[in-house]
Amino acid sequence: MPQSDADVLQQVPPASDPKVRDMKALRTKLDKAPGELPTADLLARAYIAFGREVGDAHYAGYAEAVIARWMAQKPPPVEVQVLQAIILQFRHQFADARALLEKALARDPQNAQAWLTLATLDMVQGRYPTAKDDCAQVARHGGYVLGIACVGNLRSYLGEARQSVVILTQIAGDAPRLSPSFKAWVEGLLAGANERLGDWPQAERHYRKSLEYAPGDNFLLVSYADFLLDRGRPKEVLTLLADHSQSDTAFLRIVLAQAALRSADLPRYVFLMAARFEALRARGSDYYGREQVRFALHLQHDAEGALELARRNWEVQRAPWDVRVFLEAADAAKRPQAAADVLAFLAETKLQDPIIEPLARRLRAELAAAPPAR
Amino acid sequence: MSAGLFAAIAGVIGAAIASLAFAHSASDAYLMLDATKAAASTASRDTVLHGQWDIALRDLDFVLSLDASGDGDITWAELRTRQRDIADYAYRYLRIADAGVPCTIRPTRMMVDDHADGAYAALFFDVTCPGRPQKIGVDYRLFFAIDPSHRGVFVFRSGAGTATALLSPETATIELPP
Repeated sequence: MPQSDADVLQQVPPASDPKVRDMKALRTKLDKAPGELPTADLLARAYIAFGREVGDAHYAGYAEAVIARWMAQKPPPVEVQVLQAIILQFRHQFADARALLEKALARDPQNAQAWLTLATLDMVQGRYPTAKDDCAQVARHGGYVLGIACVGNLRSYLGEARQSVVILTQIAGDAPRLSPSFKAWVEGLLAGANERLGDWPQAERHYRKSLEYAPGDNFLLVSYADFLLDRGRPKEVLTLLADHSQSDTAFLRIVLAQAALRSADLPRYVFLMAARFEALRARGSDYYGREQVRFALHLQHDAEGALELARRNWEVQRAPWDVRVFLEAADAAKRPQAAADVLAFLAETKLQDPIIEPLARRLRAELAAAPPAR
Repeated sequence: MSAGLFAAIAGVIGAAIASLAFAHSASDAYLMLDATKAAASTASRDTVLHGQWDIALRDLDFVLSLDASGDGDITWAELRTRQRDIADYAYRYLRIADAGVPCTIRPTRMMVDDHADGAYAALFFDVTCPGRPQKIGVDYRLFFAIDPSHRGVFVFRSGAGTATALLSPETATIELPP
């Protein structure tokens, strides 16, 4: 129990934050006129954007409640269907998200938001030829800049990170008229593309720049933290994420940094991370396949368990980090044959990555030396 | 493309692309009912259960604005002075009945519990159902109207052991094992 009145029990989004104020104002407006779709649409978008920024799943639920009465219509308004798809996508309910997007696009084939969301979905699931078509539709209906950003993202997954950097740099140069969140996104993509190329100084420069545009953005912070962990700079991870331990994905990086530093406190951190995953499991959520693999592999030292988690995660998502954790788990478990499908995917997509490539080479060599799997 | 459309897209563009998973666990509460001390605690022949309900302060803040100062910190003083509001709010969304006859839920006290993802208000209460237990049902609706992804993790302890269930908008009503 708290000892004194001044004890701080919990941090919450401060009401003084203009974004929080805007959400509250919209909420009040909607409560007064619950049938106003334009207000609901704005509020749901505000919740989604804020939830993404601070990395808080609650806001997806709030957004879902806000649009629920329109989702119940048959058929729901297209823009509502697309918002619901984005919410499902956050929860990794990819098949349901895809089905909704397809329905929305059947009725409104010019919906750029739907095409962009579908492009993202296809990219994260490794369906690159389809993603290419989606990006073309984004360019057609959402404009040149969005289309280029879409393609720039895609190319970095196809062994064309050099071209990706060129085209993304072009958009970044166009930047003055773009919103900070868009600039932050492009800078984040540039950081990732430079990582594919092994250009660490450029990657770091872009991470820092992206965080100037979107300080506190959970996704960017966590990506930069991964970069720092890979560079052997765990102390900087602790500084970077000091105020973000509430986020589960950020917390995992803190625990990994503590492990790298051989902190005496590590068991406590590992315990807390395990408890967070357990709480997710208890509620039937499975958002963090990738993170769970890393936790099992690097913190619980359970290679077999990690490989099993990686296998499940692979059925859901196939971005470069999913490739990497799968190969790391197969390598640690000394089961190169388990990685055969992932290695085939790599060969097909030509993903370039200075960390994944040597790992894949080693596993291929072991696979070639080993007797064929029965 | 119009500036309006671009702004609308850019508003959620990060949402669409950058981050495909949220970082915080979604909203959970933990509802525990204990029937093991039932007989000892009452002289009458009524059924008495003891309950504990842990609700995240983050979730309560969303509906009740606990952070009165708006500085982003919920202090003990801010929470302490709102205990009654919290109880009034929460208990509206919990109904317990035996064979369709409502049982009485009597709040006893509130404490603060630390969970792995933050601090929770721990609401303690007693449930009295008239007569011997027949078919005790729990109806749970906390936060569902504002966040359909909220889940109540339910644990029931009785002489027969421990049973658990997950309460959701689709499964808001459950029956306790005999």
